[in-house]
Parts: sequence; structure tokens; C-alpha cells
Amino acid sequence: MVTLPPGAGTGPLLDVRGLRTYFPVRGGLLHRVVAQVRAVDDVSFTLDQGTTLGLVGESGCGKSTLGRTVLRLRPATAGQILFDGTDLARLSPRELEPWRRRMQLVFQDPYASLSPRRTVGQTLREPLDHHGIGTPTSRRDRVAELLDVVGLSPAVLDRYPHEFSGGQRQRVGIARALAVDPDLIVADEPVSALDVSVQSQVLNLIRRLQVERGIAFLFISHDLAVVQHVSDQVGVMYLGRLVELGPARRVYSTPRHPYTQALLAAVPRVEGSPADRVLLQGEVPSPLRPPPGCAFHARCPRVMEVCRHEAPVLKDVDGPGAGHRVACHLY
Amino acid sequence: MAAAPPVLRVRNLTVEFATDAGIVRAVDDVSFDVAGDETVALVGESGCGKTVTGLSLLRLVPEPPGRYAGGSIELAGRDLLALPGEALPAIRGRDVAMIFQEPMTALNPVFTIGTQMADVLRQHRGLSRSKARAEAAAMLAAVNIPDPDRRLDDYPHQLSGGMRQRVMIAMALSCRPRLLVADEPTTALDVTTQAQVLAEFRRLQQEFRTAVILVTHDLGVVAETCTRAIVMYCGSIVESGPTAELFRHPRHPYTRGLLESVPRVRAERLPELPVIPGRVPDPGRLPAGCRFADRCSRVQSRCRDARPPLQPVGAGVPVSVACFNPW
Amino acid sequence: MNATALPLPAPRRDSLGARAVRQFRRDRTGMVALAVVLGYLAAAAGVWFGWWATDWGALTGTKWEPASAAHWFGTNIIGQDIFARAIYSTSVAFEVGLVVALAATALGAALGAAAGYFAGSWLDEVLLWFMGVLEAIPFYLFVAAVAFALQDSPWAMQVGMIATFWIGTARLVRGEVMKLRGIEYVEAARAIGLPSPVIIARHVLPNTTHILLVQASIAFVGAIKTEVILSFLGIGIRDGVSWGLMIEESTKEVLAGFYNNFLAASLLMFGLVMAFNTFADALQDALDPRKVG
Repeated sequence: MVTLPPGAGTGPLLDVRGLRTYFPVRGGLLHRVVAQVRAVDDVSFTLDQGTTLGLVGESGCGKSTLGRTVLRLRPATAGQILFDGTDLARLSPRELEPWRRRMQLVFQDPYASLSPRRTVGQTLREPLDHHGIGTPTSRRDRVAELLDVVGLSPAVLDRYPHEFSGGQRQRVGIARALAVDPDLIVADEPVSALDVSVQSQVLNLIRRLQVERGIAFLFISHDLAVVQHVSDQVGVMYLGRLVELGPARRVYSTPRHPYTQALLAAVPRVEGSPADRVLLQGEVPSPLRPPPGCAFHARCPRVMEVCRHEAPVLKDVDGPGAGHRVACHLY
Repeated sequence: MAAAPPVLRVRNLTVEFATDAGIVRAVDDVSFDVAGDETVALVGESGCGKTVTGLSLLRLVPEPPGRYAGGSIELAGRDLLALPGEALPAIRGRDVAMIFQEPMTALNPVFTIGTQMADVLRQHRGLSRSKARAEAAAMLAAVNIPDPDRRLDDYPHQLSGGMRQRVMIAMALSCRPRLLVADEPTTALDVTTQAQVLAEFRRLQQEFRTAVILVTHDLGVVAETCTRAIVMYCGSIVESGPTAELFRHPRHPYTRGLLESVPRVRAERLPELPVIPGRVPDPGRLPAGCRFADRCSRVQSRCRDARPPLQPVGAGVPVSVACFNPW
Repeated sequence: MNATALPLPAPRRDSLGARAVRQFRRDRTGMVALAVVLGYLAAAAGVWFGWWATDWGALTGTKWEPASAAHWFGTNIIGQDIFARAIYSTSVAFEVGLVVALAATALGAALGAAAGYFAGSWLDEVLLWFMGVLEAIPFYLFVAAVAFALQDSPWAMQVGMIATFWIGTARLVRGEVMKLRGIEYVEAARAIGLPSPVIIARHVLPNTTHILLVQASIAFVGAIKTEVILSFLGIGIRDGVSWGLMIEESTKEVLAGFYNNFLAASLLMFGLVMAFNTFADALQDALDPRKVG
């Protein structure tokens, strides 16, 4: 057994404080930084052991960057990523390495997430070998067990990714994340590339892993309906910022931010009629030139004068006990 | 229902592809009609043959490896499959137009959208250069693009995804086609943008009275935009009928399973989402009987021996289903 | 419920390599080209083992003998057997081609992968600058300078070619690696905690083999053709004989109306280059991951 990095043991598993990820935009002859894209801008949230935060937003809102920054796959520009009490943002790559055992990533595209020249067995064994988990012989059994957990036959060990369907590849990707027995999995749009009938299979699998293994998930998706099934908390992002954060039940039953409301209304429904829908005007502005004040004000149906000048901060609605927080001048 | 005469009559369409694994039937004996004022959905999961069917309506399936192995596609009385290849360019864009999922790749990046729209108008409607430009601007205005005269001089990359798809719609409708085939037109867009484009779509369909075939995997989009839906599975139609009736009372177990597994915002989250077990069979190795038999909860022994034909359910209900044991 | 394993595609247990071989064997032109290349290789191997063409330097006849049973391609200006010299030159061509192709491709792969994986860093900047500088020097001047610097070492030509041929490969590999480093399975490897050299070697470079094979075959053919020109200019092969030296010899003979030396060398070279190019095209098709995967 390898000793795991020590944790404080108390408090939330993940405590993200004021996280910012900026990407420099270089231009000109000398490659000077001419602008900053604020992909993630002052985001804070906590995640308890074994619970799931669903992160929702449209393309370019920074949700994927946030997920990767939390795992330190992107450098954080500012802020803290307290994982079990230790600030990952301040660790060197070498110091970070043991922590990789405790957090993993599941990807969107099942066709790009598995190396085409490696068998499923090789892919699943790699994390075990690298972290020295078990003995070489016990690793074989472990790989077979992982395949069983995600609903694949251990007979597929010697197969290559191209022999599998999208849903099966996604299961292999999940098995790879499970190999190190992580405490946290960041799942970045894990079902959006799959057909609907397969989506539900994978979502049920993720739900079961939460319950049976006590894994915490940061579940990123553009689809509110998908997020609802797996989330305890939901956060809605717009242009790099969290605009609403709260218990899933509250956010879905009483969405407060006009953007969350519009997002919920915009989902085409099998049973509903589109007539009662409030259509948002325009499209998401470029993160290179975010509007002043509230980033949403140009599209907001309930815009007020103050929204044009002053950026709202997240604050509690329904009292501090409810844990429902919204960044909007309406509240 | 049967007021308007059909603009499109597809009969026994069969499209095959030559692959390394042998001949694969992507579309297998598909027949349907579309009337002049209808919006019909071709719906199903990836590999069900909906996109190939859509492409066939413009005879755009690449040959080879594709091959029209049988059937007919009658558009306004002419069989597209019987026409010589030289006659097709005059029909594409004028009688039948198409919109693709990714507008960025469907527009040429080195020409302004004004040039591209005017080209289509000059070719199919014989307009002069200045008339074509004026008409293009009018079309952009019709799809609610602000400041259309200025937008004409933009290049595709200067527009947002939603704008580009509006331009594609404007371009497709500019020659007043009898039939518009839209292949996943909003799948690449964000939900809030998708809602805008779909609303636009509904309005224009009323205004231009074009028959529309919407190829999509998204049942929500079908419910909100289409009068009739054709559900495909493994290259064949399993169920077709008016959208409202189909969604209220799905008769084929596949339609029912698909509807149940659509992710939707619910009042309470379920302990487990409904699923269709298993997966779509490989096109090279389809089961002998009903192609859904292996995944079906209502399977009977005859389902494995013979393929159920697509038949009207009768009793005055305008729904057809290909199932021995429908709900 | 987790025990219900999903149905799987039909068992096809062969590796990617086996699929590529199967694909290649269906390509008739490619198979013919491969046979021709193997014929050349056999000729070269015979020289290496000392089975034939051992008397390429000996004066076995008189000046400009026509083709005969004793001298299949006739003899040259000083009475050496042209056939023996041409066959011996085949082995020289393979030596030059293989050494240059392997070394230049390995160098290009390593440096290109490093530059691409760390694109934007100082390492990438330095490598790009270095490539730019090397490319700015006229090639023949460069080889002459290398020959001078290496004090007429017999390897000067090879070193000169390797030192320039890797650049094209490096640029292509760099571009591909920049694409691959953002792909999800590479990110997954980083999330596991694998160090960069392991990620590059295990997850990135294997997915550039289609580029490396093409580049190696281009370098192989390029080296053989360049050898001819360099030897002709007198800065190529120093000891022994090669197609280039034979063509250089033949300049005096062609003026006198004797073509055997010239034809033997140039046709043999043409045949090898042609067959190898065809073979490389077929190989590329067979290895294309989109067709295999």
C-alpha cells in the first residue's frame, strides 16, 4: 500500500475560494499579452464528501475550465483550491502527484478519451501501475473488477477502443477514473455525446457510484435535465462567474436568477408547448469583452439601471440556512 | 390532415453502403409522404438511417460508397432517383434545399454571406446582381437578422453560431423551395440560441408554406416544431403519425422507450432513470426478425422469426407502427 | 444490475498491426512495389554478406566492352564490370538511405514532439529558432561545410543530410503533437499523474507513426537522390562506388557515345525510388488510423 497524502479530515472535501483562471491573449510581433480571457472569474463553492455539484452553463461559460483548474490540469491565476484542507493551487507538480490518486476526470468525447493504440486492459492498468496500487498479479483482478463495476465483461480486456460503441467507451473512461479509487471525479459533459437511450444508462451508473462508493462528483453539463438526476447542489455559470448556487431541489423548483429561469424555460420539452416561453435576446457575449456591470444585463428581461454599472455578487436568498445563493440585483 | 397533396412521395427507398465488412443497408425499404404545409420529423438515434434518408432527398448520398438500391423519391411528380445526374444541380436549392448541423462548415469562409446568398439567387432565380443583393438583404431581414445590409458584407466567421444558422435558413428559403431538409439544425447551438432559432423556424414555415423535413435526435425539438414524426430504428420506420398522438400514446416499444429515457426536468428526481437496455445492433449483423427484439420488453417468439411490417393501427387513428405486439 | 454485461461486437481479436497488414495485402500495386524493393534489398544484402559484386573495383575487362555473358552491363572506361559496380552501389544506396532515414526521423520525432508538447515554452522557441537557422543555410554549402568541419570523414555526407532532413519531420510532428496534447486521452494521462516524457512516449508519439513512416520513406528516397547529386559534385561518397559516382564517371563516356554506365546507374536508381515511393503510399493508406481505427 502506498500512503495517501494526509488530509485534515474535517470540513468539506473540496473548498474552492475566489478561484480565477485567466488565459492571456497574445498578439503583435513580440507575443505580448494584449488581453486576458477571464474563463473563470472569482468562483467559490464547497463540495462535501460523497455529494455532487452540478455545474450548468452554455458553451464558453467557463465550466470546463473550472473543472480542469480544480484538478490542476490548468494553472489557477488566483484563489485557493482546498482539497481535504490542502491548497492544491500552491503545490508544485511534484507535490501534486500523490493527490492525483484522489481526484480523476471523465471526459465528454468517448472517441477522443481513449488512446486508439492501447487495449482497454492497458488503459485501465496504467493508473494502477503508476501509483503502485496492489501487486502486479492483483492488478489483473482489479482491472477485471473495474470492468464489472461499469457493466462490461472482463473478456474485453484485449480489445481496442474502436471495437466499442460510444456508450461502452464512456464506461471504460469511467472505469479508468475509478481505478485509483478517487474521492472526487470531475465529469465534463460525460453523456452529451451519447444517444438518449444510452445517456440514461450512463447516468444511472454514475448515480450508483455516488451511492455505493461515496465518490464526490463535480458534474459539468449544458443540460439542466441531465444534471438534475445526479446532483445534490447545482451551480449555474455565465461568462466565468457563478450566478446561482444552491441545493438542486431549490434551484429547480424556485430558480431565482433570470438566466437560470431562461435556461430552464429554453429546454425543448416533450410534453410542453413552446408558446409560454420567454425568449432571451441575443447570444452569449465574447468572454474577451465582457459587458460592464452584470455580464447578463444585455440579455436580461428584468434588467435595471444598476445592472449596467455594478456587478452583482453572490448572496443568500431565503436566509442563510437555505444555502441558496444568487448573484443578481433583484434580490 | 389529408387536405394538401403530397409534395414528396418516398416509396421503398433503400440505400446501401459498401464497407470493409461488406454491404450495409443504411436505409431499408422506407416509404412516406410529406404534404405541402407539413413539418415532418425524421427522428432516431445515431445510425438509424435518418441522416442518409435526409441526404437522399437531394440525392446527396456520396456514390460510391453509397448506392440507391431501390425505390423512388418523387418530388412534385418527378422521380429524383430516375433523373440524370446533370439535372440535379438545377433541382438542389431550387426545389429542395438543405440546412446542415454545422453552419460554419456549410458556408464558404472566403466569401461574404452576401456573395454566397446572391450566387444562389442568381443561379436559380436568374436575378441580376443588384436584385439578388436586395433579395438577399430582404431574406436576412425575414429571419430577424438586425441590420441586414451591413451583415451582407460580413464573412461567416464574423457571425455567431446562431446568426450563421439563421443565414443558412435564409439562404435555403430564398429560392422558395417546395421542400426544406434540415439535418439537426440546432444541435450545435446553445439552448437559449436553439430556442430562438426554433421559434424562427416555426414562424418561417407558416410564412413561406414550405414543407419541412427535420432530421433530429431530440424529441423535445420534435414535440415543439413538427406536425408529424417518423421514428426510425436500424434503417427502417418503426412508427409514424401526428406528433401529439405519437407522444401521447407511443405504440412501438422503441418509441416508448425513447420517450421515457429523454432527460427532462422533473418535479422530483427519480431513484433511477428509465433506460432501453442493450445497444443498437451493428448494421452488418442485424437480427433476422424484428431489429428491436433483443432490447424489447414485449418481445414474443414470432418477433425473432419475422420482421413486422409497417401497418396502420386502424380505428381511425392516423398512426402506423411496425410491431407485432404494440402498446 | 451491474452483472449484466452488455453485448459486444463480434470478436475480432487482431491488433492494429494485423489489420494494417491485411489492408496492405489487398493493395496489388503496393504488393508489387514491395516485391521490387525486397529484390533491391536482396541485392544489397548479398553485397553485405560478400556473396557477390566483390570484384567491383577490379579491372576485369578492357575499356567500354559491350554487354556480354561475362560482363552483363559491359565495362566502364577503365575496364571495370558495370554490373558489379551497379549492384555494389545498391548496397551503398541502402546504407545511405537507411542511416539517414532512421536518424533523421528519430531526431525529428524527438525534437518535434518536445517542441509540440511544450509549445509556447522557451524550449519550443529555441527549437523553432534553431530549425529556422538551419533551413536558412543553402543545403550544398552546408554539406560542404560539414565535410570540411569533419575533416573529410566518410560520414560527412550522411551527417549533413541528417542535420537538415530532420527539420521537416520535426515541424510536422510538432503540429500533430500540439493537436494531440489537447486531446482527452492525453489529458487523462496527465490526470493520472504520469510524467511528461512517459506521456509523450506512450500516448503521443505512437499516434504520430503515420507521419513518421511517411517522413522516413521521404527521407530514404531523398537521401538516395541527394547522394547521387552530392557524389556527382564530389562531396558525397568518398571511398567505394555509388550510383552518383557512376553517373559522374559516365559524363566522359556519354560524350563518347557509351551509355552503359549512365543507364545502369540511373535506371537502377529510378526503379528503386519509384518502387519505394509506391510502397510508401500503400503503406500510408494501410496505416491510416481512420481506416484502421
